[in-house]
Formats: sequence, structure tokens, C-alpha cells
Amino acid sequence: MGPLAGIRVADFTWVWAGPHATLQLAHLGAEVIRVEALQRPCVTRLLPPWPDGIPGANRSGYFNQFNQGKRSIVLDLKTPEGVDLARRLVACSDVAAENFAAGVMDRLGLGWEVLRALNPRLVMIALSGYGAYGPEHEFVSYGPAQVPLSGMSSLTGYRGWPPMHVGISYGDPNGGIHGAFAVLAALWHRERTGEGQYIDLSQWETTMAVLPEGIMDAVMNGVAPERNGNRDRWMAPHGIFRAAGDERWIALAVRDDDEWRRFAAAIGAPELAGDARFATLAARKANEDALEDLVTAWTAARSPDETTALLQRVGIAAFPALSNRDICEDAHLRERGFFVELEHPEVGVRRHLGIPWRMSETPCAVERPAPCVGEATDYVLGEILGLDTATCDDLRARGIVA
Amino acid sequence: MTAAAPTPERGALAGLRVVECGDGVAAAYAAKLLADLGAAVVKVEPPGGDSTRRRGPFPGGEPHPERSGLFLYLNANKRGVVLDLDREPDRAVLARLLGESDVLVSDLPAARLDAWKLSWPELHARHPALVTTAIAPFGLSGPHAAFEATDLTLWAAGGIAYLNGGGPGTDDMPPLKAFGQQAGFQGGAHAAVATMGALFGRARLAGAGQLVEVSIQECLASILELTYAYWPYMGLVASRLGHKPIQPLDFFECRDGWIYLCCIEEHQWRQFVDLMGSPEWAEMDLFRDRLSRGANWDALKIFLQEWVREQSVRDLYEAAQARRVPFAPVSTMGDLLRSEHLAARGFFAELVHPVAGRVRYPGAPYQFRRTPWALRTPAPLLGEHTAEVLAAVGVDARSVTAATGH
Repeated sequence: MGPLAGIRVADFTWVWAGPHATLQLAHLGAEVIRVEALQRPCVTRLLPPWPDGIPGANRSGYFNQFNQGKRSIVLDLKTPEGVDLARRLVACSDVAAENFAAGVMDRLGLGWEVLRALNPRLVMIALSGYGAYGPEHEFVSYGPAQVPLSGMSSLTGYRGWPPMHVGISYGDPNGGIHGAFAVLAALWHRERTGEGQYIDLSQWETTMAVLPEGIMDAVMNGVAPERNGNRDRWMAPHGIFRAAGDERWIALAVRDDDEWRRFAAAIGAPELAGDARFATLAARKANEDALEDLVTAWTAARSPDETTALLQRVGIAAFPALSNRDICEDAHLRERGFFVELEHPEVGVRRHLGIPWRMSETPCAVERPAPCVGEATDYVLGEILGLDTATCDDLRARGIVA
Repeated sequence: MTAAAPTPERGALAGLRVVECGDGVAAAYAAKLLADLGAAVVKVEPPGGDSTRRRGPFPGGEPHPERSGLFLYLNANKRGVVLDLDREPDRAVLARLLGESDVLVSDLPAARLDAWKLSWPELHARHPALVTTAIAPFGLSGPHAAFEATDLTLWAAGGIAYLNGGGPGTDDMPPLKAFGQQAGFQGGAHAAVATMGALFGRARLAGAGQLVEVSIQECLASILELTYAYWPYMGLVASRLGHKPIQPLDFFECRDGWIYLCCIEEHQWRQFVDLMGSPEWAEMDLFRDRLSRGANWDALKIFLQEWVREQSVRDLYEAAQARRVPFAPVSTMGDLLRSEHLAARGFFAELVHPVAGRVRYPGAPYQFRRTPWALRTPAPLLGEHTAEVLAAVGVDARSVTAATGH
């Protein structure tokens, strides 16, 4: 049983950032109850991938990955009774989490001032693109646009090329993991003092927290580092190089001159160790185009696995650029028990990614697959809120719950 | 000062005692997250100092161990101790420190522990009350456990690199990493979460700690958005190449910088068309819905570029946002430092460091209403607190020859 067993989270989040935060809490053993609005199912329920390409609210691999271990109740939050049920759930929860646009929770009657009055021990977090106040706080924020907004895109890209993306809506999971940490810290404080509190998380700011090398350069020197592809100021070669096969790539990094000598020997060209063009870091940086051509000529002739084996044998950091398929089929990850394969009522057994940590005494495990829409409505109404069956049936008949 | 409710001086984690031991970003960032909320963190560095002291960025580009922007950022709010852990007496001092602490967060390679005839489980067994968090590139078990790694190779191992770079017409360009040392930051942030979890676990374990293992590869694989599931759900490999299904979601150059156009919902596109003055081309059947706009992106992009080129980033951003269209500027570092919004939120924090001087730092990643995030003290000089920290656990620093650095 995970260490947060006994902690309950009323989870009003949707899309990715908020659900990613509450996923961490579920991974730690908290009871996370997704409160899904009848009129507005989670966006990720409507997105692919779906088995056989057939859409369905319970069939999305996207939703099912980031909502593992959680429960789901559906409420009509446009009705006073639906809102009242949500409030009653918050009243007996430890945490409330949301990432709607600014003002939505207040308009629903579920704002912080209302909820704290119901539950003074409540920890509430609002994750948003811009934060809960400030001149732009009502601006609309979508995951993909967070990467450029944060400054990350202006730093990311090939040398001499336009700014680029990073491949995922990085502000979302980065905000989510930081949000989970913030909630845990606030719970820690509450355990000592009895005081709940409100946490305002701006994904923009949380992303800047992981860009110090760019921001500090601008602070200290008035200029930002130039976009420089996969290269590094202090290591060369340092890149992702073409390997044999269709779209196969190998990442490798030579960290110092001693490693360069070992690298040269490993690729069967020990004479390179004494080659003045490459013998020192300064020389390799000065001749980096030629260096990369030479590396590519070697890597392109062999599989990424073979290169990895040859270089790791001499202590050089090298690893293939894995695709989603490679990850799913990775023997190392399987041996470590990273994958979760639980029977889901609508999509059966699918190999999901699990929990990226292990605990020796309070093992964490995903105990149930992502919830179907409203699978725990009866449980929440009956066992948590203590409503009798007749009341539940009535609420359901009138469409207040589903 | 106003008469508003008193603000506690102490952060949410005040009273928590943490030792950080390792090198680079991951453990340092985990410990930073704890320190900035009030935990008392002791950073253990080798005699030569942490490698981030040598990475910079540096003022004027001149390397200096006390002026590295990355080091200064990662290690504010911590006290610094120098120990040469390859020497037994120094390891005994570390053990004393651990005996007085709640948490050890570390990214030391298992091979270092091997050389000391130690393993992570043994270290945990010697300090059963301690939450011992070991961050490792590929975790502590499995065929790749002993692999060497850097931030770049982990970004590749976690599957994110494969999703970025190149694009239509530029397929020969390699997968592209994100700026900075993001593998380290993700490993650190996840380790902070797991560490907090284990601290809660102590209540259930009669005060006992535990060994917490964090695999950076797994941290990265677990943030692959919707792309990972394409394989187990549909048997499809997610590629960085080819066209995006939905457009516009792309970078465009304005007359004074770059902007990111983002129209996911139909109403956003209609608003954008209206903002552009409803040009005739926008009504072409080629662009009738978001999937058509994706399929015919090469053509649409030319029309858009022509219009966007004449605009200013700020004006277009604000005009779009006024219509609830989620465009974003491609912020430069200067834009961030000058942002009125960030200033109003007090994002950037300032500290005076005895060598680096007065410097602004990226500030609170979240704002706690009751127990504020705060930068309190600048990063330690190399070995600055060795004597005082060791004295507090009953060790005379002069007995630890390496620790004095002389």
C-alpha cells in the first residue's frame, strides 16, 4: 500500500497538467476521485489513440495512461444539487485540485473561499497557464503554446534555424509534477499545524524554473544562449547520430579528453586520439562539423544497439533514441516491472507505463486501470457521502449524477 | 507593512533536515525544491566542487567556480560542506550527518558506492530512519543499470527526443533535444515527489524511513503525452516526421520576433480569420476544417506567413487573446525579464552573493498562500559551511583533512 493511503483528493482537473499532478498522488496511494462534469467530459477522453481506431470515452489510451488508479464520478455541475454534492465531497477530502480557466471554479460555486469554509484543513491547488492573478491571468492557455511562451522554444532548435518545439506539451507534465510536490508539501505543513492553504501554480513560471541556464545567461550577460541543436559547450562529440536502419538514431556524448581517447579506440581509429584536430575539447569544438561527420560515418554503419554496446563497454554514454514502440518493448523496463497490465472493461489489457519510482517499505502500485466515466458514482455517493440507495436512484433519474 | 494576516516566516517544510550528495542537476534540483519551501539542506560537494560550478553560464563567459549561473540557481538556500567521500574518515562524517537528518537525496552512481564496499540497500540499512532517495539514470536494477548516461542520452532513452526535430522536407535532421538539462530537472522533480511520499510513509512505519529509487528514464517515458499509447493501442509508431494532423499549430515570424499560432478549436480559427480581415483565401475548401488545414498546411502556411510577417508579436498576441485565441509569443529571455505580468506576480527573485553579487533568479514555481516559497540565502561558497555543519554533529573539521581543501 502506498504511503498516501487514507488521503482523499477531489480532482476537478482535466486535460493533462492537472490529471498529471493527481496521477502522482494516486501513484503514492491517495484515493483520487475525478469529478467529471456531465456537460464537459475530460478532453483526453475524446482524443486518440483508440483500439481499432474506434472512438469512445473509455477507450482513449491518452486518458487511460494519465488517469490510472483513479476513480470517476459524474456530476451535473450546472445544477445546485450537483454543486452541493461536489462540495460535500470536498468537505471530506484532503485535497482539491483544478486546472480550469480563470474564474470557472468560482462561477461553479466551488472557489477557494467557499471550499475553505467547508473544510479548513483543505489543501487546494489551481494549475493554470498564467497563474491566478496578474495582468494576463485570464489569457487562454493551451499545452502546445506553453513551450514558446515559457521561453523554451527560443532556446531550442538547430543552429541558425527558427525556434522549435520540444515534441510534447512540456509545460503540462512539468507543471503537473511540480504541482504534486507542492500539494505534498502543503499536506506536510497541514499535518503539523492543521492549516490548509491555497496554491497558485502558473505553468509558465514552473517551466521557467527548469530553464535557469538560459535565464541566468540573460541576467548575467544580457544575451541568451544561441540555439545549438544537440551540441553542448563542454562536451564533444555530443549529439544524436544516424544509425543503420530506417529512422534509427543513437545519442552519444564524450565528456572529456580521456573519454575521447577511449572513443577513438572503440571505433577502431586509435590514431584519432593523437589527431590535433580532435585531441582536446577546444579542438573538437573548433572542428565540430568534421568531428560529427566522422562520428556519423561510424554510427551509420551499425545498429544503435551495437553502438550502445561497443561504447558502454568502454564507459562512454550512448543510448538509442527510443520510439514509443521501443519503450513498450524494452526488456530493461520490463525486467524492472515498470509496465502496468491490468484488465480494463472496455479496452482489455494494454501495456501502460507505470510508476517511475520504487519504495522499499511502502511499495507503490497501480491498483486499478483508469476509470470508465462515472464508474465510482455509486461508491462516492453511498460509501463516502453516506446517501441511501433511494436518494442515489433519484439523483440518477433526474440526471444530477451519472 | 499592512495589518493583513501575518505571514509565517517559515516555509511548509521548515524543520525537515536534508542531506544532498551527488553531482549535477537531478539531486540538486530535488533538494532545491525542498530547500525553497524551508527544509534545511546540507549540500555535500567533493573537494573540486560540483560539476555545475564549471558549466556556467558565467558572467562574461569566464569560468569561475563561484559565478556559475546554474550552480547559483540550483543551490540557493542550502549550506555547503566539502567532503572527499573516497576517504573513509570523510564517509564517517557523512554517516554522522545522515544520523541527524530526515532525508538523503543523491544521484551518486552505484559504482561509487561499490568502490566503498557499499550498496544503496546497505546504506539504507545503516540509517533505517532516513528516507534515502537514490536517483539513477536507468534505476538500480535491470540490464542497463550500470550504463553511463548524460542528459542527452537520457532524453533519447526516455523517448522524447524521437518526437522532435526535422519535419516536412527536413527529415535528414536528427531528433532534437530540448534546451538545457531537462532529464536532470525531471529526475529531480520526480525524486522530490517520491521523497515527500516516503516522508508520509514514516507515519505508517513507526518512524522508519525507506529506500526510494527513481529512474530518470522512467520519469521521461512517463511524460510522453498521448504518443506512447499509440503503440499498445493501435500498433502505430509515433514519428516526429510528416505533417501534423491539426493546423495551425506552428511558429511564424512577425516583423519584430516570433509568434506561435495555435487554433485547435473551430471557433478559434474563425476568430483568427476575422482578425485577419476575412481574406478570400481563408474560405477556400482546402482550409474548411482543422484536418483539412493540416492536410493542406503547405499552402495555408504561405498565406498565413504573408499576413503575419507584417504584424508585431505583441499586438497580434493581445488581439488574438482578446478573442480567446490561444496564441503565444515565442518569448526571448529578454521578454521574460521585462514581462509586466511576471513582474506583477513577483516571479523573479533577487539575492546578493558574496562573489557573484546582486543577481536575479527564476523564482517561485508555485505560490503558497500561507507558507510562501522564498529565496533566503545565496548558494554556498565551496566549503563555506563545512566547519559549522560538522561542529553541529560533533566533528572538528580540522580532522577531515580533505574537507578543509588545503
